[in-house]
This record gives sequence, C-alpha cells and structure tokens, in this order.
Amino acid sequence: MTSRQVTSGILGGLRVLDLGDGVSGPFCAKLLADYGAEVIKIEPPRLGDSARRAGPFAGDDPHPEKSIPFLYVNTNKRGVTLDINESSGRRLFEEMLVKVDILVENFSPSEASARALNYPTLAEINPTLVVTSIASFGQTGPYRDMEATDIVTTALSGLMYHSGDSDKEPLRNGLDQSLYVAGINGAVATLAAIFQRITTGRGQHADVSVAECLSSHLVQPVPYYNYMGAIKGRRPVRGSGFEELMPARDGYVIPSVQGSQPWSTVAGLIGLEELQDERFATGGGRIEHGEELNGLLIQGLAQWDRKALFQASGESRLVFGMAQDAGDLYHCPHLRERGFYVEVEHPVAGVADYPGLGPRLSAMEYQVTRPAPLLGQHNQEIFCGEMGYTKEDLTVLRQMGAI
Amino acid sequence: MPDLPLANIRVLDLSRVFAMPYAGAYMADLGAEVIKVDSCQAQFMDTTRTLNGPYPGNDPGENYWDRAGTFQTLNRGKRSVTLDLRSDAALEILKQLVSVSDIVLENFTPRVMRRFGLDYANLKAVKPDLIMVSNTGYGHGGPWTDFGAMATALEPTHGAGAFMGYLDTGPDRSANDGGSSGSVPNKMGNSYTDFLASWTAQMAVMACLIHRVRTGQGMWIDLAMYQVGVSFLGEGLLDYAFNGRATRRLGNRHQSMSPHGCYPCLGDDQWVALAVRGDTEWQAFCQALGQPDMAGDTRFSKPLKRWRNQDALDAVISRWTETRTSYQVMETLQAAGVPAGPVLNALQLLADTHWRERGYFETVDHPPETGLGRQEYVSRGWRLSGADVKIRSGAPQLGDSNEYVLERLLGLDEGEVQGLADSGIIGSHPIGGSPAGAVPLQRQAELGWIVDYDPDWPGG
Repeated sequence: MTSRQVTSGILGGLRVLDLGDGVSGPFCAKLLADYGAEVIKIEPPRLGDSARRAGPFAGDDPHPEKSIPFLYVNTNKRGVTLDINESSGRRLFEEMLVKVDILVENFSPSEASARALNYPTLAEINPTLVVTSIASFGQTGPYRDMEATDIVTTALSGLMYHSGDSDKEPLRNGLDQSLYVAGINGAVATLAAIFQRITTGRGQHADVSVAECLSSHLVQPVPYYNYMGAIKGRRPVRGSGFEELMPARDGYVIPSVQGSQPWSTVAGLIGLEELQDERFATGGGRIEHGEELNGLLIQGLAQWDRKALFQASGESRLVFGMAQDAGDLYHCPHLRERGFYVEVEHPVAGVADYPGLGPRLSAMEYQVTRPAPLLGQHNQEIFCGEMGYTKEDLTVLRQMGAI
Repeated sequence: MPDLPLANIRVLDLSRVFAMPYAGAYMADLGAEVIKVDSCQAQFMDTTRTLNGPYPGNDPGENYWDRAGTFQTLNRGKRSVTLDLRSDAALEILKQLVSVSDIVLENFTPRVMRRFGLDYANLKAVKPDLIMVSNTGYGHGGPWTDFGAMATALEPTHGAGAFMGYLDTGPDRSANDGGSSGSVPNKMGNSYTDFLASWTAQMAVMACLIHRVRTGQGMWIDLAMYQVGVSFLGEGLLDYAFNGRATRRLGNRHQSMSPHGCYPCLGDDQWVALAVRGDTEWQAFCQALGQPDMAGDTRFSKPLKRWRNQDALDAVISRWTETRTSYQVMETLQAAGVPAGPVLNALQLLADTHWRERGYFETVDHPPETGLGRQEYVSRGWRLSGADVKIRSGAPQLGDSNEYVLERLLGLDEGEVQGLADSGIIGSHPIGGSPAGAVPLQRQAELGWIVDYDPDWPGG
C-alpha cells in the first residue's frame, strides 16, 4: 500500500448537465468530466449534437457515432436525448435541473431565451445552480446575437490580425482553437463559481464570450497601442532567422537564441564555423547582419534532421523547437513515457489512443471511464434507473418525440 | 472581500514571463492575495519587467522596471516581495511564506527547483495541504524533462503548425507529411502556448481548491506546456489515430464550409472574415452581394461544387469586399444572417462598440511614482453575476510589499528586515543589469516589429 491517496477524479460528486452543442460547451463539460464530475449530456432527439455531423470521421465514414470532434469532446459523459422545448421533455429537464450543480450551454442568447434557459428562470428552479453560458460574443452588447463561426470570432477578437505572415492575409488558427479556448475558460469560471458557492450557498451565472477569451491573449498588442500609439501586426516574412520556422533536412525547425546560453553554444550546436563570429554574438549584431546570418543559418540547418537537432539542442540547454505533425506526436516517446495517451474503446468507432489531460496531478489518476455516448445511450439508465420512470413511460415519451 | 471566489486565499507566485504570472493575475482578479516573489538582483528579476516593454511614450523612464505595459497586464493586482534565492536566509523566508500560503505557482526548470530544494515534497513538509503548479516546457518526468522551452519554439513542437499554414506556399519537405497537404507549417504567434498553459493551470487549481475543501488534501500539478499544447489539438490527434492523417493545413478555408476565408477590404491591411454554412446562407449571401444570379451559377449551386470551385468563388467575393470597409461587409452580411466580422487590430478593437459596451477593457489608476497615469488593460473572457471579478490594481512596484510580507506576515523585526536589505537579499531597485532600452518607433516599423504608429502620441 502506498501512503499516497490517489483518486480517479477530484471533482467526484459534482453533477453537471451538458446542453452544449459542437465544441465550446461540450469541451467545457468534458474538462469537468475529466476531473471527475458526473456529466450528463443532453442532446435533441433524432439528430443529436451537430458535432455528430462534423468531420473528420473515424475511418472517413460519415456516421453520427464516428465524428472525431464529437468523440473527443464527449468522453467521460453519459448521454440522454431530450427535447426541452416540448412540455413533457421540459418537465423531465426541470426534474434533472434541481438535482445538479452545474448547467453548461452554448446557445446564442436569443436561442437560449427561446428555450427558457435564461438565468433568472433557471435560478428560480434551482437557486444553487451555476449556469455557464458560452456564446460567441457573450450575453450582452450589440453583437450578442450576431452569427459567427470560429474564423469570425477569431477575427473580431483581435487575435487573427496578429497570426500569419506580414506580407499575406491574416491566417486562421487550426482546429477551431477559439472554441477550445472558450471551453476551458468556461470551466475556470464555472469552478470559481462552485468554489464561491461553498461559502455563500448561492449559484450564479457565468457569461463567457468566445471572442473575449481570445482578446485576453493580446497582452502585447493592447499595451503597445495604449502606452505608445503603436500597432503590432503579423510577423515579418517567414524564414527570416531565429525564433522562426526554418527548413532543416527533413522538415522545419525553430532555431532559438532564447534562454541563458551564450551565442557560442548556439553557433556550436548548428556547427557551421562561420557562425562563430563576434558580429553575431549580440541581438543588435544579429539584426544588423541579418541577411548574412540568415544565409549561414539556412546552410547550417540544412545539415540537420529536425529530431536530431531538437535532441542536441535540449542536451545543450538550448530551446530550439521543431515542427511536428500528428504522427510525430502520436508516437512521441516523451508523451508515451508520461502516460499521456489513453486507450479508449468505442462500440461503433472502435479502439484508439486518445489524448489525455494536459497536466499530471499528484493525487489523481486520469482515466477515460466512458467513450463518448451513443445517441440516447443512457436514457433508460437515467430516466428509469435514477429518476423512477417506467419503461412504459419512456415509450410514451418517445412517441411524443420528447426523447 | 467576502463576495469574491478567492477571498481568503493566498497565492505565492514565484513564476516568471507569461503563462503562470497571468494565471496569478486572474487569481488576483478573483480576490486572492497574490504575492509575487521577484528578485532585486537584475539577473533574476522577472524578464517582463525589462524585456518586452512597451513603455509610455516609448520612454522607459527612471523606474523602467515598474513601467512595462505587458508586465503590468500579466501581474496586475499582486503584491511584490523581493528575495535573492541564492541565500539560505531567503530560502528559509520563502519556506515560511509557503507555510502561510494556499497556492504556489512556479516555472523554474526541474533542475533549478531541485537545487533550491523547492520541489513539492519539500514544500509539502511545511504546508501539508499545499496546491502547487510546476509549469515547465516538458514536465517533470519523461526523456525530455530537462529540456528548456519558450512558447515561441514550443508551438510548432506541440503540433500547432500541422494544422495551420497558407495554401499558396510550397510543399512541406517533412518526410512525415504523407503529401496530405501542399503547404508548410505556420505559427499562431503571440506566445499562444503560454495562454493555453495559463488557462489549464487556472482550471486545475480551481478543481484542486474544491478538492482540498472536501478532503483536506493538497496537490502537485505537473504542467508540461508541450503536453498541454497537444491536449488542445485533440481532434487532430484522433484523426491520425483513426485515419492516419497527420496534417490539415487549409489556409483560411474549412474542411466543409465554403466560401470560408479572409478577404481584403478598403484601407491598408484591412480584412474581413466570413463563412457560409449551407445552402440557405448561400442564397442569402448572393442576395446580400447584390448578385442573386450567382446563387444559380452551376459552379456554386451545391456545397461540394462551391468547395471545389473556391478559387473562382474567392475571386468574386474579393472583388466585392475590396470596395467596402470591413465593418460595412460585416453589417451587410450579418443583416442577411451570414457570419462575418472584421479582422480587428488593437486600435480597432479598443474602439469597437461591443467591447466598449461590455466594459471588457478595465481601467487602472497607477500610483503617481510610476508615471503610468490611467491605463486600460485586457480583462478576461468571462464574468460572474455574483462576484465583482475585476482588475484590482496595477502590477506591483518592485519590493513594494517587503515590509508587509516580512514584518506583518512572518513577524520579522525592523532590524532583521534592514539586514536583508543591506545584504541585497531584498530591495526595491534592481541591483546590477543595465537600464531597459527603447528602440525608436520608426526603427521598430522598419524591422517589422510594428506596422504603424502615431507620431503625435502623448509622451512620444
């Protein structure tokens, strides 16, 4: 027996209803589930979460149980179908509502109102409830009901203007980053509210704006303007030296002069004699002789395979990076040794190693106890087993289209 | 502050640079007492006090170490104590401080933490229910554990570049690319990974605080920025696991929507982003462009056709957007129910009515000795109905809470504190180092660090 008490989830006992659709709300609820909260995902009957129709799909087979975004952001949840707009569905929903601690939703504010999901209505049903609403632009302000997708919120947030190359158009971040960033910010706000509830006994409403979550990354561009009237933009043309992606023999690397090592170490690592030149030893010198240095850098890096250079950099206490793709990461010996990937078996999509939790916690073992739920998979378990409805009731509800 | 979530929580923030300091700043917004442990020895001072600027009117000024705008954003609402950790006395004081704190944030390398004896096992001995975040590039444990890292080089290493790149660049020479896309990796920039680490640390700390109330148990959070970065690319990783697809670089295009992209507008470096999600929006889009006939154009009539003919489609859209401002395009398309929004720079964002009306930018009145006056800062992406979460003050002046921390919290007497000051262990001015410089804005523009500036800016 070890003296260390290890639990599979530190948020065990917290009950969450996930009314989210797509990525932002569901990712927020997934994070809560990953830390041990008991999450029930509520999907509309028949079609389910719109993410079920979003690719890519496992085996490139466009099947509602094989959507990869859906499989990823809904692990560790149970799932029911429920039409909360229909009166008996609504009654069931309100019955569930009084028994939970958290509701996560990401409808637009007008859609939420149309479903009677505004906070005052919900607080009347359960005053201890924490309601987390994630919307593109938040619950207030002139853009509250504007139409948006990831690229539009990223554009308006100010982040996109600064991404990409200065001589080209601004470039979108990959894989709906705004929605993941909003999801985790939503989880922070939710847990802050839950922690406060321990003292006050009261629930509250967390109003999360996807765009504002990204604006909060602008810790340089905003003071640049406010302090000195200067506008930061995208990075100067790529391939132009240190801290930028540069070609190596088999891909791209980022040579770096950051950290505490002297220039001679950097030059020594790259291994080109001409780089051991005093003119390059200072930041000012590297700028002044940039073109010449860049030529030498390209010449030196072309002798290296990216992984060998990365390894040698780390061993020299330098902080070079390299461009890795999903295959590199999937087979990464470092992530494997840290136990990052978790094998998950899904009854329709099959078995795969899923990325696990970002951090490692000393007294919590990360587990995926459930793959993403099949549509309505836990209707009977939850409605009959936990809420006391009979199978006959479920049949009636199904005929009414409520589940 | 009884109505704030983190009232009565004390955070000891040993961290430097971006990710963890920003996490500490949010905890201060939430009502925690956050003590930033800095150093008055210039070589160990948080580098954002001097490296990143910007300074008011591009003038570092006499007390430059308290005046950098990025430092102010990342360290708002904290107190500052200085400790030169090379001295045993300072390490002893630090341990005493840990014993009266709830949370420790740090981002030293594993090697440095071991050398100082500040690893979790040691700190837990003085504070059994301590919650501690150790933020490193690659984490404690694993073959790369002792590798250093900076966000800018970490970003492509954790795979972001596999999913971001222009379409019109040459083929990736990476052997692992499998020819699945015709472009080279690009970077989000802006220290993107730092923010992922900051949000992740905040989430983990909140969960651990709740756990601590229920069990009395503390926690060590081993936060590897590399691993955190990968956890935000989950669908890309699963696409590889299921389908063997290692990259997805689509420029500003989307795997299913079209049109989808970023288009030039009236003005210098002005752009609008838009997306059409289906046939209904496509019809509305054509109407809004004043080109209803385009809806019937057989090249564009179905989603798959539009997707395959995006070059032709983008040319038509660019011709229309080029004669309009980005806000005009937004208004026209939003009126038709089509997602669209301008690509805002900082000046435009600061002036935008939505951000203004929501009070997103929060104001700080800085102490007169900083010469910073009244400034506005980015706040956070969320607000709580039952808590006045806000930026409580500016970032601390170096060592401004030395007396508070050493005398009031730890009970040292005036003589002991004076002794620490005399030996340079504490102080309120940097010892050594050279004053921060400022590159003239005209030169910054030539170097591409900025794209434009107002020559008449106050103090400039």
